[in-house]
Amino acid sequence: MGKNWLESNTFHHSKFADIGNLVKAKQEKSLIISLCLPTLNEEKTIAKEIVIMKSELMDRHKLLDEIIVIDSGSSDKTREIADHYGADVYLSDDILPNLEPYKGKGENLWKALFIAKGDIIVYLDTDIKNIHHRFAYALIGPLLLQEGIKYTKAFYDRPIAEGANGIRPTGGGRVTELVIRPLFALFFPELTQIVQPLSGEYAGYRSLFEKLLFPIGYGIETSMIIEIYKNWGLDVIAQVDLDRRVHRNQSTKSLGKMSFAILQRFLARISDYGMIQLKTELYDQMKQFVHLPQVYQQEIYAFQKQERPPMITIPEYREKFINR
Amino acid sequence: MNTYLDTLPTYVDKIKAFRDIIITNIVLIGEKSAPTFKEKSRVKLFMERLAEFQVDECSVDSYQNPIGIIRGAAKNKPPIFVVAHLDTLVDRQDFFNYTVKRNSISGPGVADNSTGVGVLISLPWIIKELNLQFQSDIVLAGVIQSIGKGNLRGVRHLLKTWEGPIRGAVCVEGVELGRFNYYSEGMLRGEIECTASPTSNKTHRPNPNAILILNEILNKILELRLPQKPYSRIVIGKMNGGYHYGRDALEGNIGFEIHSNADDIVKEIINDIKDIVESIKRIYEVDLKLKILSNLNATRLEFNHPLVKTTNTIMNKLNLEPISASSESELSIFLSKSIPAVTLGVTNTNKDSIDTSIEIEPIFKGITQIIGVMQAIDNGVCDGKKLA
Repeated sequence: MGKNWLESNTFHHSKFADIGNLVKAKQEKSLIISLCLPTLNEEKTIAKEIVIMKSELMDRHKLLDEIIVIDSGSSDKTREIADHYGADVYLSDDILPNLEPYKGKGENLWKALFIAKGDIIVYLDTDIKNIHHRFAYALIGPLLLQEGIKYTKAFYDRPIAEGANGIRPTGGGRVTELVIRPLFALFFPELTQIVQPLSGEYAGYRSLFEKLLFPIGYGIETSMIIEIYKNWGLDVIAQVDLDRRVHRNQSTKSLGKMSFAILQRFLARISDYGMIQLKTELYDQMKQFVHLPQVYQQEIYAFQKQERPPMITIPEYREKFINR
Repeated sequence: MNTYLDTLPTYVDKIKAFRDIIITNIVLIGEKSAPTFKEKSRVKLFMERLAEFQVDECSVDSYQNPIGIIRGAAKNKPPIFVVAHLDTLVDRQDFFNYTVKRNSISGPGVADNSTGVGVLISLPWIIKELNLQFQSDIVLAGVIQSIGKGNLRGVRHLLKTWEGPIRGAVCVEGVELGRFNYYSEGMLRGEIECTASPTSNKTHRPNPNAILILNEILNKILELRLPQKPYSRIVIGKMNGGYHYGRDALEGNIGFEIHSNADDIVKEIINDIKDIVESIKRIYEVDLKLKILSNLNATRLEFNHPLVKTTNTIMNKLNLEPISASSESELSIFLSKSIPAVTLGVTNTNKDSIDTSIEIEPIFKGITQIIGVMQAIDNGVCDGKKLA
């Protein structure tokens, strides 16, 4: 195990608080940086996220070159509000329309590669209640200032929002601790040094993202880390402490679905790499119980097993970015 | 002449271009908890933001009021103060979540006074981007311990320790746009606490009940004759007491304010209340305490003071209807030190959620009027003029 990785590749966001210095490094390297926000019914949080990022990292400092929103088809005012506050808004289904459309965060992240202009892409979730521009600049920092870093991942304290403004100090990261960390310990011990492998905030070079598989639903983060690790090694990865992220609480049932999808994706990935041999195809449905009076009712959750191939293999992409 | 007045309306759209920065400042400030006496994290953020906006001098005074100074062109002109109180009525919480919508910002304390503070810390950026030049230094001060039991301690200390004259001041409040305060009534804020102990009852009367005793006091206060001129009134603003439906209340308190255009009347009324409290105390043999929390003298700019007239003109230029009323706030302290000052509101409360939501669009006009008044003071509208 790389004993020094945790020390050498783990940073606190405050190390990158001199945004002017980041802008200078960006300009010296002639890089374009895109912020991508995948959305589905996020009208309550999207405006604040766009406004703060635009104010601090586009208006006051020219660190970001664009903010793009890739929406899965929100039924609320997410797209209208995002457009009002100056983001470039796209409906996921309208991107690469000759491909069969899928619904999921991974789909939006993958299609963002086709839309975004950036050499560096920053992906942020849009349900962050305490959004601050450090969520973006601190992920960009190591990519610009640390030699060899190609991918950065956020970690933080994860209090859970309760009620109007109350928060519960602990309880986040249950899937990480109960599912992912044990799996990593069994198959990829080095990856256990990553504090929050499932965090939805990460950034990296396009040259890396375009070569990755993108699962459509849950599992994108797990798959991404394993692929990067297997293909480029741990040293291209850095993790950044963002202090705190307040997020919506999820029910145990939702986390069960998430765990199911992550397990599916994890097993598929290690099977791809020949680390295990599955003698049978995995089932793609999970049943959960609904508690009703005197009735034992089951709900069936169907797993989205589709995944997008590396974007670099898509002809339209090659035409737009590689052969230009 | 008056060129700044002519160009003022054009600033509204120019300031609108800084919408995202202004909203960001309001949100970042608002999400820092700052109940009175616990404003530390908001003070820190205030200083960080001013430093990021490259304000010439940033510091905290010996009372922990954060201050930023934008240096003016003339060295011999006294400074212009722009202040907003940092503290809020909202209790301390670990994290406040603010929500931004298409035309509103919602969150605890947004109207009073996250918007005022957010606008204050946006001024350095706006002044720089609009290329505005002031002769005087502009002192941007967030004052702590202002409301309630804070009793305006922050601004009192700031002005007590400030060396040298002050040319004029603008106090910034989040709401309402059109608010224009230039006078303060004499005001005394007090609290009457009643503690009744059953064991101390030496008579054969029933056990004392704090709520009933306070009720006696209230009835006596309501019997007081108050003059119509100078206009005077007593506001009973809060009341607490008791713990259990089925037990006599052993503790209770009432909070009140005395307002009058004449300081002498305030003194007379509080002496009457002291007598009432003393007499009830003797009758019921309970522990009654009258605490004076805050005391402000009546002070004002006259309606024909140039700052008042010019502020009216500025608001008319921007199609704002001035709404004037007495304000017992930072304004009182400036006026009591013979410093010409006004209080202005920045925007409107959102009608759907009056206490916790403000409208975004009016903010730009609200900021324009503040800049207009700053320019008026910088052009000498207050120089050499007595308050009244």
